[in-house]
Amino acid sequence: MRKAAFAYWDNRIAPVFDSANQIYLVAIDSNRITAETLEVLPDDQLVQKALRLAELAVDTLVCGAISRSLHEIVCSYGIQVVPFVAGELHKVIQAWRSNNLSADVFAMPGCRRQCLSLRKCTAGRRRNIA
Amino acid sequence: MREIRFLLTFLPSGRIKQIMSGGKKNRKPAVVTPTEAILESISDGVFTVDMDWRITSFNRAAEEITGVPREEAIGRRCSEVFRSSMCGADCALQQTLQTGKPIIGKSGYIIKADGDRIPISVSTAVLKNGDGQVVGGAETFRDLSDVEALRRELDSRFRVGDLVSRSPLMQRVFEVLPAIATSPSTVLILGETGTGKELMARTIHCLSPRGKGPFIAVNCGALPDTLLESELFGYKAGAFTGAVKDKPGRFALASGGTIFLDEIGDVSPALQVRLLRVLQERTFEPLGSTRSETTNARVLVATNRDLAELTRSGAFREDLYYRVNVVRVQLPPLRRRKEDIPLLVEHFVNRFNRLQRKSIQGIAAEALSLLMAHHWPGNVRELANVIERSFIMCSEGLIGIGHLPEELTAHGLSAAMGADVSSAHDLLDAQSIRTALERNGYNRLAAARELGIHKTTLFRRIKKLGISLPEKDGRSGKARIQ
Repeated sequence: MRKAAFAYWDNRIAPVFDSANQIYLVAIDSNRITAETLEVLPDDQLVQKALRLAELAVDTLVCGAISRSLHEIVCSYGIQVVPFVAGELHKVIQAWRSNNLSADVFAMPGCRRQCLSLRKCTAGRRRNIA
Repeated sequence: MREIRFLLTFLPSGRIKQIMSGGKKNRKPAVVTPTEAILESISDGVFTVDMDWRITSFNRAAEEITGVPREEAIGRRCSEVFRSSMCGADCALQQTLQTGKPIIGKSGYIIKADGDRIPISVSTAVLKNGDGQVVGGAETFRDLSDVEALRRELDSRFRVGDLVSRSPLMQRVFEVLPAIATSPSTVLILGETGTGKELMARTIHCLSPRGKGPFIAVNCGALPDTLLESELFGYKAGAFTGAVKDKPGRFALASGGTIFLDEIGDVSPALQVRLLRVLQERTFEPLGSTRSETTNARVLVATNRDLAELTRSGAFREDLYYRVNVVRVQLPPLRRRKEDIPLLVEHFVNRFNRLQRKSIQGIAAEALSLLMAHHWPGNVRELANVIERSFIMCSEGLIGIGHLPEELTAHGLSAAMGADVSSAHDLLDAQSIRTALERNGYNRLAAARELGIHKTTLFRRIKKLGISLPEKDGRSGKARIQ
């Protein structure tokens, strides 16, 4: 089973994850959605935000713009980050399920080439937060 | 500027050939107005949007600051191009379009494609057509990176991590902090409640080579002995009823990082023995385990109690005291570093502005005078709470006397007075007189002498300020004659 969090605002991917306070959680098993929920994120400290994702056992975070420091913190919890994504939530979820998120149509303006370094972050060892 | 003058001189009709239009790919010369030429030449970013939040124009500085080429920006949603901390529920442009009022100099940050956070200030305005109908909005933004760097440089003299102070007492602590942080030794942090012991511990951790490792804080005074033991050392499945699986303790979780034991003076003698073993041998046994585990966590401890006195009275083990008292950091109470109050107030105002998305400008002079006169038994934590409570009462502008909690404005005097400078003066007077009277056992003559005023002046001020006095006076011990 895979679990992905989509930074959420107004039925779209929230433009900035650092200031976003909601995520749309999707659990998927054999490419079939088994659960969908809207969760609130703490918006005071970056570490708390990353910790909440880890507590929710998120494997992948799909978000809009994200600062380098928050990106590093989220990655350190073993969560794969797909940053600088824009678009309507359900179209993005569909693209994620079909491994099509790298299409230009979902890239934020100015991010087709420059954001590649950030886009490379992949899942590492999951840190124990018990 | 010279370029604009040149263009305007040669094309007095007001129509000029644009230097850049339609992006880098199709930079065909196009006719533009002088206004557009000016927008191209300024260093502030400017963009406009239509009523669907799609970008309709994007100047050269906007390209430079955001790193987004104009041809990619035009026609896209502004939040996806601008990517500022305000985009979303806190959109300045949306507020302007809803209220019709411009917003000037709201601060935030944008995130560039490489993940850099750029501090900015934004101003907004409504766009109307010739018939006065609203057709969109305009936003200008300024890159504050240089200003921010300068401010940080100035601040760094009075700031280490999240610790803020210009007091000589704290400056001495700041000077030794880097050396303390890099050493692996146990640190004992002493200070009254609310002086920032945990913040100090976090700062030491962040400055240390273990800064990227975990920081685990445990309040030893908040947990009963048995629970504290399982929290610190963990337990094995079956160690007690309900222990269905292994649980790592805080010492195990702090591996590669720092463990902070707050209120160490409240730990029971039995647990002191186990702690001593961890500090001496770096080993411990989880509850129900027959095997020892090792820890490499750095230990920081803190207390607001007098550990030396507890050791003398036998309540705290002497060997543990010497083991934790390797490096000592003493945090002074706020009343001994009142010169920090303006700096701390500014720090908390900035923090709560950020957290509560407000734009409080600061504190009024008379309100600050009251804060300076307060004794602050709860120290920096109490000051933070006072500012947080003021934020509830104050919606914009400066925090005034009326926004401060009643206990600070002394015995409800504020209710009878206006929130001006003379009222603040009266409040300070009343506080000084009360303190002098209390210190001198309500002996009026001694209090007047301490205050440096004549006793009749003191009586007059007591009467005017309506200060109530106890039945006994400090001179005779007899009942006061009214």
